[in-house]
Amino acid sequence: MSRRIGSQPLGNFYNGGKTRTHREWRGFKDTWYDYTRWLFLWKTMIKFMLHPQNLKGFFRYRWMVNYLATLDFLDRHTEGLRGPQLRIAHMEFDLIVEHMCDTMSSLFAADANIGGDPQKSKKIVVFDENMMTQIMNGFPNLHCVCMEIPPIYTASTMCQDAVTHYIDVAEEYGVPSDVCPMPAAELGVAIDDDYPIVGCCAVQCNTTCDGSMMGNGIEARRFDIPMFQLAVPIRYTDPDTKDYAAQEIKNAIKFIEDTTGETFDWNRYFECMKVFNKETEYFREWLEISRTDYPQVVGNNVALYRDAYYQVCGGRDSHFMKNEKAICDIMMKAYQEKNQIVGEVRHRAILWGVQAQYYSAFPLWLQNCWGIVPLIDMLSLTSTDLYSEDDKEQAFYDMADLYAKMNMRNRSEGGYEVGVEDLWRFCEEFRADMVIMYEHVGCKSMTGYHGLFEEEARKHNMHLIWVTHGLMDPRKASRSDMRTEVNRYMHTVLQEKPLDPSLENFDDGNAW
Amino acid sequence: MKDLKHLYYFENLLQDVNNDLVRQAQEEGQTVIGITCYQIPEIILNLPGCFSVRMRAPRTGSMEMGTYYMTSLTCEYCRAMLERSLEGGYQFLDAMISPASCSQLADCMENIEVLKLCKKEKFFIQHVDTPMKSDENGVNHMIKMSRLKVLNKLKEVYGIDTSDDALKKAVALHNEVCRIITEIGEYRKEENPRITGYEFAVLCLITYCCPKDLILDKLRETAEELKTREPDKDYKKKYRARVLVAGSECDDPELIKLIEEAGALVVADRYCFGSFPGRQELILNEEVDILTQICQQTVIQCQCPRYMNTDRIQERKDYIDQLAKEYHADGLIYQQMKFCNFWGYERAASTHIMRDDYGWPVLSVDRPYVVGNSGQMRTRVQAFVESIEIKKIQGGDR
Repeated sequence: MSRRIGSQPLGNFYNGGKTRTHREWRGFKDTWYDYTRWLFLWKTMIKFMLHPQNLKGFFRYRWMVNYLATLDFLDRHTEGLRGPQLRIAHMEFDLIVEHMCDTMSSLFAADANIGGDPQKSKKIVVFDENMMTQIMNGFPNLHCVCMEIPPIYTASTMCQDAVTHYIDVAEEYGVPSDVCPMPAAELGVAIDDDYPIVGCCAVQCNTTCDGSMMGNGIEARRFDIPMFQLAVPIRYTDPDTKDYAAQEIKNAIKFIEDTTGETFDWNRYFECMKVFNKETEYFREWLEISRTDYPQVVGNNVALYRDAYYQVCGGRDSHFMKNEKAICDIMMKAYQEKNQIVGEVRHRAILWGVQAQYYSAFPLWLQNCWGIVPLIDMLSLTSTDLYSEDDKEQAFYDMADLYAKMNMRNRSEGGYEVGVEDLWRFCEEFRADMVIMYEHVGCKSMTGYHGLFEEEARKHNMHLIWVTHGLMDPRKASRSDMRTEVNRYMHTVLQEKPLDPSLENFDDGNAW
Repeated sequence: MKDLKHLYYFENLLQDVNNDLVRQAQEEGQTVIGITCYQIPEIILNLPGCFSVRMRAPRTGSMEMGTYYMTSLTCEYCRAMLERSLEGGYQFLDAMISPASCSQLADCMENIEVLKLCKKEKFFIQHVDTPMKSDENGVNHMIKMSRLKVLNKLKEVYGIDTSDDALKKAVALHNEVCRIITEIGEYRKEENPRITGYEFAVLCLITYCCPKDLILDKLRETAEELKTREPDKDYKKKYRARVLVAGSECDDPELIKLIEEAGALVVADRYCFGSFPGRQELILNEEVDILTQICQQTVIQCQCPRYMNTDRIQERKDYIDQLAKEYHADGLIYQQMKFCNFWGYERAASTHIMRDDYGWPVLSVDRPYVVGNSGQMRTRVQAFVESIEIKKIQGGDR
């Protein structure tokens, strides 16, 4: 046990229970840092729970219980990390926790189910989870809430069986069990009447997939507020679709204006886009360093965080920009010091397909167990363009472009070029020798390319490891099943031994 | 009932996508365009010099190669088409139009494209983005896509005349087919219909799968024949209930036959490849551009669940209710191709809504692509018919 990476057999922490047996010793400095962040998170959560309205929310909604595993979530996502990576992880995830607490506080403060303030509710525009929020950059007096995020999206990463109840509710309603569990679970919450009742109007979107869009249609029957459906082109890479997409954005803005009486504030919009652009510049730097021999911001430190600031915040929260600046500084210093993020870098991998929500710490396992560095994942490879900061007409096209290029949607829709071909381009850019190919059994978009992926991988002489999972339903393929697929490939095809043998097989079937 | 004179002929034509009439038209110099979905107006693919064929995979057995490429978790219609492509079954096509209808169909088309499964020199697959809402913006998008991606491409590659005159001729041909199908379909409203759902399904499907001008004479003859056809006297014994069939893609009349053999006469067809919508005349006016009118009809009449605006979602239910009443149905059968995302949700919701809000008995089933001999399906339909009968005997509500 020391500050050296890989000095502890991490698999020994698991004994089949909900939590790990003990905390990790990372050397004095890192352990102390980790401990202070642990205390900080407790403070944040206790402060949240001390608010009477939040306490009511906690006891009203069954999905809230998943957030008791927040600290375990942090432990899972920092497992084996040291030095700069540990700090980057905490800077990101701690901010997300704070942001989630703020979001849920706003939600509960206005929630009619628990006697919330109707005036606050009138200032909320409900957004679909699966959509960008840049439209709201022009409405500073309104608050945007992505309704499905607290009950489903985030909850499913906290606790592996967090949403299975809601999946079952949707299936009992009659939704086939083969569909993606995410929209199914979201629908299950609606059927169970487990969404907070808030908002003066709502905007839904045809992202990320056909199933998600269809779930929205049924959910809309449960939301008794004016609703606008924003249709984003499917073949969005086709330039001839741009006018249609921009007009949809205009119509959505007009809908919000008409429903709320607010006027789109262009100054505020461009201010937010400046922040958003700056964040994109930082992200480009992250990617640039990941292309070198000394990548620093990789795996989980990109995947979940990118989702938060790119999609949910959309430039409205400058805390994220400041955070990214600080991360960039740490990253550059570590890069100059030639800091290696694992004890031995054996493979450089691109993670493609949709990640398992119930095992979002899987990339960390890859690096700890096998020395596979998860350089970047498909969901994070969204737009890195800079958008107009002063041209109003262009801004409609910019917003349309962003809505089309939402996390995941920009690969699952749009065709073969962005879904398959781009992968090999990224492999070349990042000098990857391996692709970890998530196969989400309920995803009807990416699975249609299964054979093409295999054939193309052979042509490109690339190791392609299929990792089957059920996105939010661990009953379809457990965490252990996911690991087994990698283990088999590493043993039989590459004939390698794990860096940390204790991580090859361990029992986390009952863990959070 | 006496057999329809041309039914056997039509049934034989449906045994193969590249049937006798398709080959004949191609030998006469016509361009054949494969199409998978209603989302692109059929009229603009049936201009002088070209015709559309709805892509099917009749007599499908194994789908192993299609399953390798698309996995066992995707729609069997898509996998069957890919399998047929891998076998070389669509080599006769000069082009395929692939609307962005659902991601699985789009993936199937991309597999065909990337694997280069159609070898004709000028062959192309055109991917077309199509609207998901039926508002003004959606119609404008459809017009733009139809013009740029379909008409211009056909003109550029095959020299097809895409002028307004050509479009008018295509509308006239479409209307002629629709008039006959509508006339025949109206008989299903009769108390004792002189045509079965299966026979109608064959006639309707033929109009999607053959060059229209080559089937007109036999369709007309069939319509004439039906005017004097005597319905079965033991109709009530054979069919104990009348049903409307709604749902996803159904290009196999054997499904309708199976339902009817189980005791439910299919009096209305609200599924993809059926007549509602798809076989309605387009009455042109002089004020509006022809292409606009064609696209308006497609967008406004389309009943596909991918149309996502709330009013359209409600309208789909109203439409089924109206059709079921008009055709005196006793119940509804919602059928869905397994792994279809759109109909998976639509079927689930409609089962509740049509039962609770509209009072219809509903049978809700998913099914494989090849369903003609499904014992499970037969049992489900039989049980449904019995439940309708029991309700009738007990005099309860629908």
